Amino acid sequence: MIKLSNIDKIYNKGTVNETQLFNNFNLEVNKNEFLSIVGSNGSGKTSMLNIICGSIPIDGGDITINGKSIAKMKDFQRYKKIGRVYQNPAMGTCSSMTILENMSLADNKGKLFDLGRGTNKKRVNYYRDQLSQLNLGLEDKMGVKVGLLSGGQRQAMALLMSVMTPIDILILDEHTAALDPKTAEIIMELTDKVVKEKKLTTIMVTHNLMYALNYGNRLIMMHEGNAIMDLNEDEKKNAVTDDLLDVFNKISLERGN
Amino acid sequence: MALVLSVLEQGFIYTMLALGIYITYKILDFPDLTVDSSFPLGAAVCVVMIKNGINPYISLPAAFIAGGISGFVTGIIHVKFKVRDLLSGIITMTMLYSVNLHITSGQANVPIFSNDTIFTLSPIKDIAGDYNTVIVIFVIAFICKIAMDLYLKTKSGYLLRAVGDNETVVTSLAKDKGTVKIIGLVIANALVALAGCVMCQQQRFFDISMGTGTMVIGLASVIIGTNVFGKLSFLKTTTTVIIGSIIYKACVAIAIACGMQAIDMKLITGALFLIILIVSSLKKGGVDND
Amino acid sequence: MKKFISFVAAACLTMGMFTGCGSTETNQSVSESNNAAEDMVTVGIGQFAPHGSLDNCVEGFKLGMAEAGYVEGENVTYDFQNAQADMANTNQIAQSMAANKVDLICGVATPMAQACYNAANGAIPVIYTAVTDPVAAQLANEDGTSTGNTTGTSDKLAVEAQLEMIRKFMPDAKKIGILYTTSEANSISAIAEYKELAPGYGFEIADSGISQTSDIPLAAADLAGKVDCISNLTDNTVVSALATVLDAADKAKIPVFGSEIEQVKNGCVAAEGLDYVALGKQTGAMAARVLKGEKAEDIPFETITEYSLYINSAALESLGMTCPEDLKATASEAE
Repeated sequence: MIKLSNIDKIYNKGTVNETQLFNNFNLEVNKNEFLSIVGSNGSGKTSMLNIICGSIPIDGGDITINGKSIAKMKDFQRYKKIGRVYQNPAMGTCSSMTILENMSLADNKGKLFDLGRGTNKKRVNYYRDQLSQLNLGLEDKMGVKVGLLSGGQRQAMALLMSVMTPIDILILDEHTAALDPKTAEIIMELTDKVVKEKKLTTIMVTHNLMYALNYGNRLIMMHEGNAIMDLNEDEKKNAVTDDLLDVFNKISLERGN
Repeated sequence: MALVLSVLEQGFIYTMLALGIYITYKILDFPDLTVDSSFPLGAAVCVVMIKNGINPYISLPAAFIAGGISGFVTGIIHVKFKVRDLLSGIITMTMLYSVNLHITSGQANVPIFSNDTIFTLSPIKDIAGDYNTVIVIFVIAFICKIAMDLYLKTKSGYLLRAVGDNETVVTSLAKDKGTVKIIGLVIANALVALAGCVMCQQQRFFDISMGTGTMVIGLASVIIGTNVFGKLSFLKTTTTVIIGSIIYKACVAIAIACGMQAIDMKLITGALFLIILIVSSLKKGGVDND
Repeated sequence: MKKFISFVAAACLTMGMFTGCGSTETNQSVSESNNAAEDMVTVGIGQFAPHGSLDNCVEGFKLGMAEAGYVEGENVTYDFQNAQADMANTNQIAQSMAANKVDLICGVATPMAQACYNAANGAIPVIYTAVTDPVAAQLANEDGTSTGNTTGTSDKLAVEAQLEMIRKFMPDAKKIGILYTTSEANSISAIAEYKELAPGYGFEIADSGISQTSDIPLAAADLAGKVDCISNLTDNTVVSALATVLDAADKAKIPVFGSEIEQVKNGCVAAEGLDYVALGKQTGAMAARVLKGEKAEDIPFETITEYSLYINSAALESLGMTCPEDLKATASEAE
């Protein structure tokens, strides 16, 4: 499905602060895989997501989706096949536009943004159905500006919007980290439901070891630009949070944290 | 009454300008200085066409297109060559100065006192009498407002609003945010040039210096409109912009009528700006604290 | 607190509107009642930009009016406005004067004259001054007659007299350099006239166009190195940076000739020039004729006919030049 081969990434190239994050990094995510990635700060988790999405350039290697290289594509071109939810709930929605307008925007992804009516009236009921599944009461506030919603409500909307149109890969960039534990739980359950329903290939970066274990069918722990642990579905089932914590503490100690 | 008419005439002309600046400043968050030159650009295109005997009504779409091109240039400089927003506007503004003079064959001042304008050829001229000018200007400004309201409700309009609000969303929608910004700049400068075109037909001469301070007038109108009247939710933002530009012009007229010297005008404008910005940032602070 | 400030701001705005309207009305009623008394007239003076020469014009205008019996404060009130070279202000000032129905408007400098003419729309006579080319500005027809309810004076340069004077001062000079601003209509027409007349006096004109004050140092230095002398127009931008031009000329050891007394005072060697106070006086006299009942459109615009020679002996001396004998009689020291 998605394959990163021989990725090199060097930050601050040519300066005294030059640091090589990835050296010949490889990763393959299969179709319908729900991959959770954990790791310490600076381990390269978010950089990897940015590399896939084209937000940062690479210094070597190739990225392919379904065998086709996307390494030379601009970020916005890659998003035709990718949906992404960010850590900051404000990133995925337009605060000055209403819920309905945001939903309409997302629904038009992949189509032409021409002079046609911005909101297709025939789709309004569909949006309402989608929103009512969140159980957040958003379906009754379609005319409210998204900026007035809470972080959890916005994040739920961002998730809904990113999977509204058919995509190949869903990228979740610590998307529960900025939420309170209860809301985070709701968003995580919603994520799981959506991923299962739409059979999405998903890459989720998280700081929450519990989520990494409880959700998804593969787990990777990153450290200094390498995947130091890679558990498949069965191995993951047998692992417990403490096992992960042990490894986690070890690498943290090494870093002198 | 004549003074009120004059304020309305000027106000409605600057409405078109303010609508353009509303797109760049409020929607795109792009301080676009191109307007200081695209305003006289519209006027230059207009006088040359009128001088050559072309129907003045045709000068309106011509100026609109010319302004659009100037916005396109700023957009390309900013998006494709990655020059900072303020700088790209300044670059186009500077280059346009020469272009404007070339359009008028080097003449810095071109009067059209003896030529027909959209006002002298107005179909309602005989019925409307003294109100002819203000009605013609109002109709053009109103068409611009309605067209913009409609546009902002289209898919393309949604995308334009999205890019100013949150560029990330536009990228996530697999759209090039640069292209959307260019579209915004094109529309904005087209409107500004249209205002210049109407302005020069109303004052019946073109002067190369007529663009000086355009940005400030437009900004003042937008800020007064959206910050003072933005709270009234039954008013569309475009409507508040119209009210803003009329209030701004009324304030200037009042200042002059009260015997205030033009020397102080910029100071007053700046102070008015500041008061409104402080008031609105206090309001904003309130929302954030909630 | 927030509410209080919003309230104050709103109050200021509304108050402004009401008091503004109120005061306009009183102005009008005052002028109307004075008209009824038939001994007080209101004259609006709109000046395009703050500028020494234009200030002199306005001063002269009031003198000319006074000489014709209209004394400020006694039987005439002036509504003086300066647009600070801003076109938006220019229009607003012109329109507010027209709206206040003053008895006569005096428009100083081309854009202001045009704006006033347009705003008055034939209902109020517009007397202009310091308009270099009233025909090009469409304030007068080719034959010198007025295009409407307007007339005035032109501050056309004495190009011919200036060339003749330069020839007398510098019998061997070949090239005259002129700096001008590409946006100033007056300068462009003056340059054209210079180029047309220069060959008759054995001169060649080298012109250098600039677009803003900051272009002047380089343009002046470049020009000074190529010519035998520099002659100044009444170009607003160049005149405002006259010191820079003089400095560049000094370094190249060439003289700068001015076009009016103020420039000679400031260091130009000599000028066959305009006296803007006199121009203003002439305009004031015309305005008085109109106020006394003549129709503006029946009075052809006037160009100042007598130019005076001004010299700056100190500047001449520093360049080792002297005033030619035959000019000494008419020359007056500018001070």
